[in-house]
Amino acid sequence: MSTVTQTETIAMSPKPMVPIDVEINGLTKAYGDTIVVDNLSLSIAKGSFLGLIGANGAGKSTTLKMLAGMLETTRGSASVLGTPIEQLGPKELARIGYVPDSHQIYRWMTIHEAVWFCRRLNPNWNDNQCAELLKLFRLDEKKKVKSLSKGMLAKLGLALALSHEPDLLFLDEPMSGLDPIASEEFLDGVLKTVSQRDCTVILSSHSIDDVQRMSDSICLLHEGKMLAHRQTENILHDTKCIRFVYDGNAEPPTLPSTIRSRNDEREWLITVEKFSPLMLEKLASSPGVSCVSVEDMTLEEVYKDYVRGQS
Amino acid sequence: MKVNLKSSKPIFQQIVEGMQSAIAGGVYKAGERVPSTRDLAIKLKVNPNTVQKAYEELVRSGVLVSMRNRGKFVAKRAEHSATKQSELAIAEAFRNGVDIARASGLTNKKIKELLDRVIKASEGKAIA
Repeated sequence: MSTVTQTETIAMSPKPMVPIDVEINGLTKAYGDTIVVDNLSLSIAKGSFLGLIGANGAGKSTTLKMLAGMLETTRGSASVLGTPIEQLGPKELARIGYVPDSHQIYRWMTIHEAVWFCRRLNPNWNDNQCAELLKLFRLDEKKKVKSLSKGMLAKLGLALALSHEPDLLFLDEPMSGLDPIASEEFLDGVLKTVSQRDCTVILSSHSIDDVQRMSDSICLLHEGKMLAHRQTENILHDTKCIRFVYDGNAEPPTLPSTIRSRNDEREWLITVEKFSPLMLEKLASSPGVSCVSVEDMTLEEVYKDYVRGQS
Repeated sequence: MKVNLKSSKPIFQQIVEGMQSAIAGGVYKAGERVPSTRDLAIKLKVNPNTVQKAYEELVRSGVLVSMRNRGKFVAKRAEHSATKQSELAIAEAFRNGVDIARASGLTNKKIKELLDRVIKASEGKAIA
């Protein structure tokens, strides 16, 4: 079954005519013959929140590392905050926050020393913002980094990334391995900060629920390729699973915008990207078709159907 | 108000309807200020842009009034308007059901019978 790669033409932001903070054109990363990011193109408007969903090896981290200027690209181009990524210098990097899943903070330092160290590296450092975040996350400045739990360490990483008031924030699976309470507190910190400022955010996460809550638009990646980039509110509204019984000799009827089609004996399930009630009427009047119904889908089901529709 | 991630209804629409029910139910009364975009986003754990979009929709439909630098307030007669909007949303949900029933070839009589059965079942659940 062929799949559709969909990028919505509408602006990826609730506010029209806002500047674009991230522009990616045909971005590709290969190690020898292995392509890990394959011809990725999308744009993200200022102040909007993009969620990246994909399994391990889908290319999420590699994409973020290239955008943050930490990894060389093989082909294609990208610019962040108006600067091509290969020209990112200290001035531009000071406007970008990056939170990885494993935190590179010297373990022998106290939190106070880690803050002092990062403060010296960032010209835009805001002491009040830092103090507020440490308080919000209940981080005691006297504690050693090595004594922190995984959740506390993630929150310290976020506090350090947000204290220089970035215009662009990359969150690379920052909540992986955190317990539900720590994850929620982490997201609270992100929400409090982005709602204060017009910060553009890209969040890559395995937690589909978190991505759904937080994102204006969602990009589904699989084995380096983009399967879809759509506005969050449209995905669940438009993507439906149509079920029917087909008892005929020829191939069953096909539907436009099909993502995945499968059957179990005479029962067929077709997931479509752009559902319309007319599809049901058309199916119901097709020879050999009976028991037509339509089902809503969760974002997880939609993601799985995009991936399985590839094979 | 809660956000249901399993629903196919967009989150901003859930917030619009949640706020209409809250006003129709007297949680927020005419002239009172509703939570700020930021506070509601943090409470519901959703993107502030989504709350902003819901509030813009509520201002457009006359349920809320926006006052510069002071926030958003429940409009006078908003209870009435919110009740009407809630009814419209319910009618839309029924319409979707009717569309599906028609596509399955059900007659009007059969559809009404089904609705009666659903109402009775739901009353049973309410008593239990």
